[in-house]
Amino acid sequence: MAKSCFLQLIAQVQEVSLDGLETYVPLLSMSQNLAKLAQRIDFNQSSDSDEDGPERESREPWGKPEPEEDEGTVKFQPSLWPWDSVRNNLRSALTEMCVLHDVLSVLKDKKYMALDPVSQDPALTKTPQVFQLISKKKSLATAAQLLLKGAEKLTKSLAENQEQRRQRDFNSELLRLRSQWKLRKVGHKILGDLSYRSAGSLFPHHGTFEVIKNTDIDLDKKVPDDYCPLNVQIPSDLEGSAYIKVSIQKQSADIGDLGTVSLFRRQPKAKPGSQMWHLKLEAAQNVLLCKEIFAQLSREAVQIKSQIPHIVVKNQIISQPFPGLQLSISLCHSTGEKKSQRASPDKSKPDDHLYVLEHNLHQLIREVHTMPHPASSPFGHKRLRLAGPMAYDKAEISSLQQSEGLLEKIIKQAKHIFLRSRTARTIDSLASRIEDPQIQAHWSNINSVYESSVKVLITSQGYEQICKSIQLQLNIGVEQIRVVHRDGRVITLSHQEQELQDFLLSQMSQHQVHAVQQLAKVMGWHVLSFSNHVGLGPIESIGNASAITVASPSGEHAISVRNGPESGCKVLVQFPRNQAKELPKSDAVQDARWTHLRGPYREVHCGRMEGRNFVYKMELLMAALTPCP
Amino acid sequence: MGVTCVCQVPVAEGKSVQQTVDMLHKKLEQLGAIKQGNFWVDCETYHATGNATGQPSKLLYVMHNSETPLSSMALFEGGPGLTADANFDVLMVKLKSHFQNAKGHKVESRGTRYRYCDFLVKIGTVAMSSSARGISVEVEYCACVIPGDCWNLMKEFMQSFLGSSTPELPAVFTNKAEGLYTPVDCMDTMSQYLELFGKVRKQQVLPGSGVR
Repeated sequence: MAKSCFLQLIAQVQEVSLDGLETYVPLLSMSQNLAKLAQRIDFNQSSDSDEDGPERESREPWGKPEPEEDEGTVKFQPSLWPWDSVRNNLRSALTEMCVLHDVLSVLKDKKYMALDPVSQDPALTKTPQVFQLISKKKSLATAAQLLLKGAEKLTKSLAENQEQRRQRDFNSELLRLRSQWKLRKVGHKILGDLSYRSAGSLFPHHGTFEVIKNTDIDLDKKVPDDYCPLNVQIPSDLEGSAYIKVSIQKQSADIGDLGTVSLFRRQPKAKPGSQMWHLKLEAAQNVLLCKEIFAQLSREAVQIKSQIPHIVVKNQIISQPFPGLQLSISLCHSTGEKKSQRASPDKSKPDDHLYVLEHNLHQLIREVHTMPHPASSPFGHKRLRLAGPMAYDKAEISSLQQSEGLLEKIIKQAKHIFLRSRTARTIDSLASRIEDPQIQAHWSNINSVYESSVKVLITSQGYEQICKSIQLQLNIGVEQIRVVHRDGRVITLSHQEQELQDFLLSQMSQHQVHAVQQLAKVMGWHVLSFSNHVGLGPIESIGNASAITVASPSGEHAISVRNGPESGCKVLVQFPRNQAKELPKSDAVQDARWTHLRGPYREVHCGRMEGRNFVYKMELLMAALTPCP
Repeated sequence: MGVTCVCQVPVAEGKSVQQTVDMLHKKLEQLGAIKQGNFWVDCETYHATGNATGQPSKLLYVMHNSETPLSSMALFEGGPGLTADANFDVLMVKLKSHFQNAKGHKVESRGTRYRYCDFLVKIGTVAMSSSARGISVEVEYCACVIPGDCWNLMKEFMQSFLGSSTPELPAVFTNKAEGLYTPVDCMDTMSQYLELFGKVRKQQVLPGSGVR
């Protein structure tokens, strides 16, 4: 198959005559081609070409005459069988193999032939042992030197690697530091900036820290786990940690102590990957922030005028939002080395004020930080740019401009928080103390820092659907509470706890009477008279008493109820005259039918009546006085 | 920002400008108004230069109002108006080549500001180059921005202290394309003042009005 591709298919041009006639070399026939290819088989060329030289040479003289012979055979007798030369070669190879085989078989017997090595000349090969030793030593020495050189190179490279690793560590740490903090190179020192100047703060502290390389490491000893090749040096007045402590203390009996909160105290939990320099820098920045806030607050405390002046002692600002209430803001800075025993334990109760106050303080400081702005834009609020083209009048402009300082805002917030918690406490104490009309408070979830709202419902248990006429919406502001009644009245209460309590008590007493009115409607009784503020009877010190008179469907009985916040409730039942024990006889009224009219009153002892609450008792009373038809 | 009405009060017979103004103040105080500071409105005139034809050049008026302290208003008489930032005056200086300031024509009105519940009454002396020429009264009803809704109320209020000098509905409101029931703009106030100043300029110098 492979040989077929060697067949010559295209006739070769032997000669081109002058008239253009081409003379072709006659193509070889198939048998001729085969003969030619068979000649190419060279038996002398073996498969492994890297044979020894002498063997090749020895075979040459045999091989050489052969191809000449073969060529001659081809040239002279082309009609011979093409495999003839091949057969001859093989036959001669067989002959030689047989001879070799015979020799080897004779040798095997060892009777007629034996193999003997050719003896070498001993004189030539004998060398003195000393020379051998010296030569061996020299060769070993060269080998050793090579190995030593190699070892030296290795140790040097290893040392270099370690040094490089330390260098690289410093650089990679520096890169990490740079990704989080601002650094700049001054001379051959690397300085950083941890102040809030880039956020627009105008606090005069420089806030510069220096980055130094940590070279006091011994490579021989084991490297400690928290080793860092980079160290930061923070200014001495920012060392340690600081936080702002805000506390509201009572000075009189009725105002509750709201306690103390610490702002900016939380140490951020060290993330596993963060380095010590990060914690140090964060702590220093926290100290700077606390200092700035305190400086701003104390500056304002001195400048602004208020009714009760604020006192600024070394690191404490004391002010009185309400008489009897003391708000103190102090900056606590501990340098960290010595831990004082009197420090309170770190557990802080989960106070919802804490996060809100801290967040508020952050926001206020952000407002104080004026962002650097281009020279062409005016100072102040962004929206003031529109004041000209939109023709803002003075009221709008002043509403845009901030006129309150940080301290004022904080005091306002503190006042509101205090007022809100006191209102809640008042309502809760009333609710727990008084069972009969129940008081429910629904606090609104969405509040602002200066305003909260709560909806107060006064109901009787079991009669919520009937008696729901007392619903109050309380808007708790900074200094006042505004109450909006369901019937449209708006009442403003001051921050005094007693006012709110009195008001709620008066509303509760009004509720009872309103409840009787609604009940009468349901029971079919007729309301004869109803007054929210009666002018008769004992004077109440809180609010006014209310009274109602209802008559039964048949008209035979009537119930009068008078309820006051202090005097409690008084229930009188009017009977028809014929049921009275002593029937006054009179000459004028003689007809029997007049005895059906209502006459004398009898008081009902509410306390001894059965019933869970007053409205239930009234219902029972009404039911008892309405006979079945 | 409310509906404003600017009118001119003639000087009382035999009295000076100042005396008439004092009379008005007294009436207002009797009514129960509270004095709330001062106000001023001024107007500067600019000629448009570079006019090819022989037509009289258009006059540009740049006005300021103390109610909108950060704004400047620029308007043509009966034409379009522009409300801008206070820097507009600086811009006019830069446009000296196109608009020339007619310095002698500056008119201003200064006076006191009274507040009576929702009404703001401003009584001012109109002066031109420090000679008093007349009295301007501006009444603003702050609770409403639609002239059609509150004109009657304003007229009644003005009658209570102006008496016979009560004006009619200002032409600014009636001339509006959308009618009486569109919200007012500060331009309306300024147009009314411009009209008043124009009238005052045409008047002769009042006898007995000295330098203030």
